[in-house]
Amino acid sequence: MVSRCGIRSSVVVILAGCMAALVGTPAFAQDKDPNPGAMTLTASFDFLNQYQFRGIRQNSTGIAMWPAVDLGIATYSGKGGLKSLGVNLGTWNSLHTGDTGSDGPSGKLWYESDFYASLGFGFGGGTSFTTTYTSYTSPNGSYSTVKEIMFKLAVDDSGHFGKGAVKPYVIVARELDATQDGLTNGQADGGLNAGTYLEFGGAPGFSGKKASVSIPVKIGMSLSNYYELLGVDNKFGFFSVAGLVTVPLGGTTNFGAWNVHGGIEYQRLGTTTQAFNGGEANQAIYSFGLGFTY
Amino acid sequence: MTWVAVALSMATTPLRAQGTSADPNLGNLKLTSGFDVTNAYLFRGIPQDDTGVIMWPYADLGITLHHGDGALGNVGVNVGMWNSLHTGLAGLDGLGKLWYESDFYTTLALGFGKGTSLGVTYTAYNSPNSGFVPVKEVSFKLAMDDSGPLGRYASKPYVIVARELEGQADAGTKEGTYLELGAAPSIGLGRVGVAVPLRLGLSLADYYEGANGDERFGFFSVAGVVTVPFSSRPTRFGSWNVHGGVEFVTLGDRNEAILGDRSKVIVSGGIGLSY
Repeated sequence: MVSRCGIRSSVVVILAGCMAALVGTPAFAQDKDPNPGAMTLTASFDFLNQYQFRGIRQNSTGIAMWPAVDLGIATYSGKGGLKSLGVNLGTWNSLHTGDTGSDGPSGKLWYESDFYASLGFGFGGGTSFTTTYTSYTSPNGSYSTVKEIMFKLAVDDSGHFGKGAVKPYVIVARELDATQDGLTNGQADGGLNAGTYLEFGGAPGFSGKKASVSIPVKIGMSLSNYYELLGVDNKFGFFSVAGLVTVPLGGTTNFGAWNVHGGIEYQRLGTTTQAFNGGEANQAIYSFGLGFTY
Repeated sequence: MTWVAVALSMATTPLRAQGTSADPNLGNLKLTSGFDVTNAYLFRGIPQDDTGVIMWPYADLGITLHHGDGALGNVGVNVGMWNSLHTGLAGLDGLGKLWYESDFYTTLALGFGKGTSLGVTYTAYNSPNSGFVPVKEVSFKLAMDDSGPLGRYASKPYVIVARELEGQADAGTKEGTYLELGAAPSIGLGRVGVAVPLRLGLSLADYYEGANGDERFGFFSVAGVVTVPFSSRPTRFGSWNVHGGVEFVTLGDRNEAILGDRSKVIVSGGIGLSY
């Protein structure tokens, strides 16, 4: 079995982002919002056949379950150069039945628990810049804690392109505090040095009356030491393309807006991630789950 | 954990009554959260840690499923998480990891007439830093809010019976059954709420196993908790408060043997949110 770490893999980032975005579109906001305040709660529970964190395999057998909760706080909204300012706090978890969970050496289901805090700035033209601190911990002791700071620049170009919008973004993430107890650890790749990660992506999609479809595409690369293998840092980590369908369960009610969602993701892995994946360069990920926003 | 709940309920009750028109959250979901800091953590009188700093982040989502005027007035479900982070011997200094305890729980609560309620809770107590073996428990709480007939003299009595399903809080040889009798009288002094929770923890069977077998008496505690809301009405960001308190705990022989002292004074304070 491969290394360590985790965080929400591609699918989770996509799901969390897309679910919130899709559920929040006017097509589904049919009823009066019971919560017009500045706090928004988003939660989900997903099932997957495979958990790949930025292309790095996290389980070989069994299934993964992802309960997640996020509290968004809209601290400022204005019409100047700075359109919005928001804070998000959340926890994301991965429960495994297979070799890195209840069937593994620890005998414990709870493979991963992440805590994160984000500060997001929204500017004109749909541009946003978000800084996120994440602590990736493993309650069942499968890996040493990884701490990371991440910067995300995104553009929501749907104002210009409508249905043809691709919503591009770029992420740069840096692992922090990778030396613990005199040892170098706390890294996603279990390597020798703390890494810096780069991701380019986009999430074109469209919304219908009864469902929404999103086709997120992303490429993950190492800027330095993020995909180490036998002392060599391989630049290309993975490429992924997915198809996600979200179906709202009714409109917005006093219990919030609920949805079911599912998708298929294909990942093409690089040298390091392929080695971590048992030599297999291609990986298919199937997922489905339940989400809600309030 | 218990008087955290007291502080939160004190903070939210008057505010809801005062400011319903300004409440931004009119739906059936309610978020309660907080972050407390304390000098010692005794779980039902069982010493966990009294070194370093102990921090308790927690969050609860309450869902009102039914609200009516019949015999069954309310039905609600709560789902939540409670955590204990330790810098001392049970955490960073002793086990190398801060996160000593993470509890997940879910409650089904039924509200009846005259302020009577019955709650059934399933709790999984986990230790991310392997400070203890996981414990799974089901508990039943019967409570009465007697502030209707007694006004400011209400004592809000309750009784809890909890049964361990797997793992044990006392690390003994058998799963135990716990009984707690308590009350939480409180008064409002302007915007400031003051509560004086009382608790008596007993073993019905094998809950406080020690060198001399199962001991009936686990602990008795009395506390004073002050809660100060940030605002008189809910805001777009919910209702925030600061709270603090002092709790005096006297222990049975079994728990005294672990702590090395018959009693303990616990000081704590924190910030709370209700939305």
